[in-house]
Amino acid sequence: MKHAALWCALLSVVLSLSTCKTQLQHEVKKRQYYQIDSSIVADSRIIDHYTPYKQKLDAEMNRVIGISDQYLTHSRASESLMGNFFADALLWKGKQLDPDVQASFSTKGGIRAELKAGDITIGSMFQIMPFENVVSILTLHGADMLRWADYMAKTGGQPAGGIKLVVKDDKVVEFLVQGKPVDPDAKYKLVTYDYLANGGDYVTCFDDVIARQDYKQLIRETLIEYVSDLTKQGKHIQAQLDGRVQITK
Amino acid sequence: MEESKSLNKSRRDFIRQSLLLGTAATLGSLPFSAIAAAKTKRLTILHTNDVHSHIEPFPMDGSRNQGLGGVARRSALINRIRQEEKSVLLLDSGDMFQGTPYFNMFGGKVELELMSKLGYEAGTFGNHEFDNGLEGLAKHLNKAHFPFLTANYDFTGTVLENRTKAYHVIKKNGLRIGLTGVGIDVTGLVDPNNHKGMAYLDPIPVVNRIAKMLKEDKKCDLVICLSHLGYKYEDNQVDDLKLAAACRHVDIILGGHTHTFLHEPTRVRNLDGREVWVNQMGFAGIRLGRLDVVFNQATGAKNIMAQHYTIGMNENQLV
Repeated sequence: MKHAALWCALLSVVLSLSTCKTQLQHEVKKRQYYQIDSSIVADSRIIDHYTPYKQKLDAEMNRVIGISDQYLTHSRASESLMGNFFADALLWKGKQLDPDVQASFSTKGGIRAELKAGDITIGSMFQIMPFENVVSILTLHGADMLRWADYMAKTGGQPAGGIKLVVKDDKVVEFLVQGKPVDPDAKYKLVTYDYLANGGDYVTCFDDVIARQDYKQLIRETLIEYVSDLTKQGKHIQAQLDGRVQITK
Repeated sequence: MEESKSLNKSRRDFIRQSLLLGTAATLGSLPFSAIAAAKTKRLTILHTNDVHSHIEPFPMDGSRNQGLGGVARRSALINRIRQEEKSVLLLDSGDMFQGTPYFNMFGGKVELELMSKLGYEAGTFGNHEFDNGLEGLAKHLNKAHFPFLTANYDFTGTVLENRTKAYHVIKKNGLRIGLTGVGIDVTGLVDPNNHKGMAYLDPIPVVNRIAKMLKEDKKCDLVICLSHLGYKYEDNQVDDLKLAAACRHVDIILGGHTHTFLHEPTRVRNLDGREVWVNQMGFAGIRLGRLDVVFNQATGAKNIMAQHYTIGMNENQLV
């Protein structure tokens, strides 16, 4: 009898323990989000942790690498000072990597900032090109160069170097590469970056490339080197609107 | 006025339901201890996604998000909530990297160190985690003092093999929280050289298999899926809403990738008709998400019904 009572007690303990182990029903009772703004006093230990990184970062970002005499604007216009600066830097690097490169190509959407007149810092290059894209040199049929011209015509012009493009009513009127009309059967070398070579920004004209060479060279590093090189020569950045892309309705 | 009225109502409900509970207990001849044991537990889930290397607040430059975000403020807020709540879980849904020069210069080290300091308990990989390749990610992974859950990525034969987990169980206050994580198909999003050797698996069967195991074998009280699939796509690409609808054992999906600012979680019916909560917090650490989950002992429908009201009352005081 005494044993039975003990067993009962033990059994109930075991039962209650196993009940504790059964899964719980749940219900979401509250949902909210917090806006992280200046009303929250920052955790100083966290600021202390990232301050050494920030100092290193700021020192690098504020490093002056050159001077621009103008404010390089970036716009949806057929040609912009920033677009030409960018395309010229790309063509400069492309020719260094492969002397046969004749033209350069970027897109307006890929250029992320303007450049104020005065000192040019590393930080401003990061703003213009935050992405880790690398230089890509494509060997194209002349026919695909013409498709590229059509792409630029349909999208209201794009930053490009080594070319002249005249567009009227979205149609190509004149398209020259290094001052000469394009021969559809000839081969051309175009410098751009991997993102566009891969068909980014709805570029479809690179679906039949003869050859493609990607380099480790980052586009941002290219800009930094281009500006540093000008500075070394005692020059300032003087981008120009030279009529390389003309669009009329 | 409205508030006090509703409070009075819930207090009346509380009293009535307490009486009901008492009656049920008597009728069911449950020992008193069973009622006492049937206390509720509460879990506060805090989450971020797509912080994108935004360590400092956005600069005051007239842009849309100026002055918002900042990891030091997020830390202070999380600390405050941890003081107020007994059980807090802090999670991230990927794309910790890329977006400020902190990533370009330090390769993700700062982001992971700070997340560890903030006490993150699990995360998953977004596509931008691969921006410096698998090697670039592996290099700084030991700075994260929490697991990364990547159930639908197969890293076999790569430097990330055995560096991530398919699932993770966290015990808090007697609760068992099962966590898994899934990422987006990086083909086309990440440079092929940067994801060489990793394989992507369809997240739906993977999540279903793991969630079932977490619920049935690991006896988890709650299953949370961290996702970097994206909130919603019009085409048939898998997203958080489709995943939620195609699952059985997932309770909450904390998403990312599409930078969606959800003002409140979306509730989706799963294959069993039960609600799955899907949430996402925009990007850049502008917001911290919070879900408070209350758990009841599942001893019987009547008891659960009654107990809900008592919590409801507590909730009114807490909100």
